[in-house]
Amino acid sequence: MALDANETLTEVVAPETASPKTVFDLQELEVHYGSFRAVREVNLQIAKNEITAFIGPSGCGKTTVLRCLNRMNDVIPSARVGGKVLYHGIDLYGAGVSATEVRRRIGMVFQRPNPFPKSIYDNVAFGPRVNGVKSKSELDGIVEESLRGAALWDEVSSRLKSSALGMSGGQQQRLCIARAIAVRPEVILMDEPCSALDPIATARIEDLMQDIKSRFTIVIVTHNMQQAGRVSDQTAFFTTEVNASSDRRTGVLVEFDKTTTIFSNPADERTEAYVSGRFG
Amino acid sequence: MDELRKTYHQDLDGARAELARLAALVAELIPRATAILLDGDLEGAEYIIRGDEEIDARCVDLEEQCIRILALQAPVATELRQVVALLKMISEVERSGDLVRNICKAARRVYGHDLDPKLRGIITRMGEQAQQVYSAAIESFVENDVAKAAALDDMDAYLDALQKQFIQAIFESQAAERIDMQVAVQLAMVSRFYERIGDHAVNIAERVRFTVTGWVPDHRKPQRTPVDLDGTETIARIETAGDQ
Repeated sequence: MALDANETLTEVVAPETASPKTVFDLQELEVHYGSFRAVREVNLQIAKNEITAFIGPSGCGKTTVLRCLNRMNDVIPSARVGGKVLYHGIDLYGAGVSATEVRRRIGMVFQRPNPFPKSIYDNVAFGPRVNGVKSKSELDGIVEESLRGAALWDEVSSRLKSSALGMSGGQQQRLCIARAIAVRPEVILMDEPCSALDPIATARIEDLMQDIKSRFTIVIVTHNMQQAGRVSDQTAFFTTEVNASSDRRTGVLVEFDKTTTIFSNPADERTEAYVSGRFG
Repeated sequence: MDELRKTYHQDLDGARAELARLAALVAELIPRATAILLDGDLEGAEYIIRGDEEIDARCVDLEEQCIRILALQAPVATELRQVVALLKMISEVERSGDLVRNICKAARRVYGHDLDPKLRGIITRMGEQAQQVYSAAIESFVENDVAKAAALDDMDAYLDALQKQFIQAIFESQAAERIDMQVAVQLAMVSRFYERIGDHAVNIAERVRFTVTGWVPDHRKPQRTPVDLDGTETIARIETAGDQ
């Protein structure tokens, strides 16, 4: 059965207290891969209908933290998550929380466009079908709504049955966004969604993010600092700390604030060094 | 082709619109300040002096908005020139607002003294000319009209000449013992305030030319208007040209 978009996990499980504007509340989050601690002590809140950007150098743990938000780290056998990831007050890693249900509410768009080798229509209809939508007219409606939502409808409405693999990279990425919003999630996680795209396709995705943020909460990991400045409301800067004895690197959250503050007057000198390009 | 980066362009348009609103507010206050001075309207003076704080606060907000655009959107080409020009124009508008306020402060200081009709006449003309120069600067900004912007120098020259003529008239009043020394000094400063408002308008217009064409004013050139000690030659030249 397809769940109502407005229904949340909080109606299923008794919530812990949280501000209604706060979608995610990360408390002392740690991620270990085997004995290696990849990220430590991350505390931050992600607000509803805002775009939150994670920036930082390679290996700082920003993607790792992003993947905790919809339990994508579950698929890595050695990964172990400590602390809490509260989603509307519910611990996503608590007992009795279904990873599948988490991922339906919290969708993801990846670095490289990864459409299924199917038609444009079938790509978008895939999620709703898995969720049990069978009616042709209902599926048609969802496909059109999602493609419009991803600013793609006008470009592909005449060729919905042609292969998604024949689209340009930018169109494929917008198709992946359409596919993500087709199951009507509350949150969309984006892992460097524009790093494989040219500047025009990138600008289209950025405009799209602005268009849809009134309906979704977006968290984006980006290597492109200017992109974080252009699109996000809040920015979290992560960096790596090297353990002198083991020479291993652990990701830490340095600063989390309004994007304007991060780019015009950051509090931490490491943030300043990174955003002004003087890092390492 | 569809427009890209819409929110950024909306922010930029919003900043432009706010600058136009602030400048228009100042232009509107110029004739009011003149009336306040000539009528000895102390209540009106108080109102404008207080109102200047709002202009100052809005200028600070607008400056922050421009800094935000620079920090987050990294504008280039015309848009970069636009934001940089806006930042400079904000100072011009803010300062012009202060000068209008100063005219009102002077109105309080000369309160109760009768002003010579000749001086009143020149004050009226300076007020009108300052508003015209300022309005022309705003129009050139709103319409990105480079030709209008370039024409401001002449309008300002007339205002400069009026000021010189005014100073001369004060000397004459002083010689004929028709004016109090304190009032004379206050009025001389008032004429300077009008003259400076015109200069700020010229600077705004120069920034319009910079925005549109990339042209940078060259202040190393010889003085733009010929030396005319009491302003009469310039006034005669411009008024004759206006009659034709």
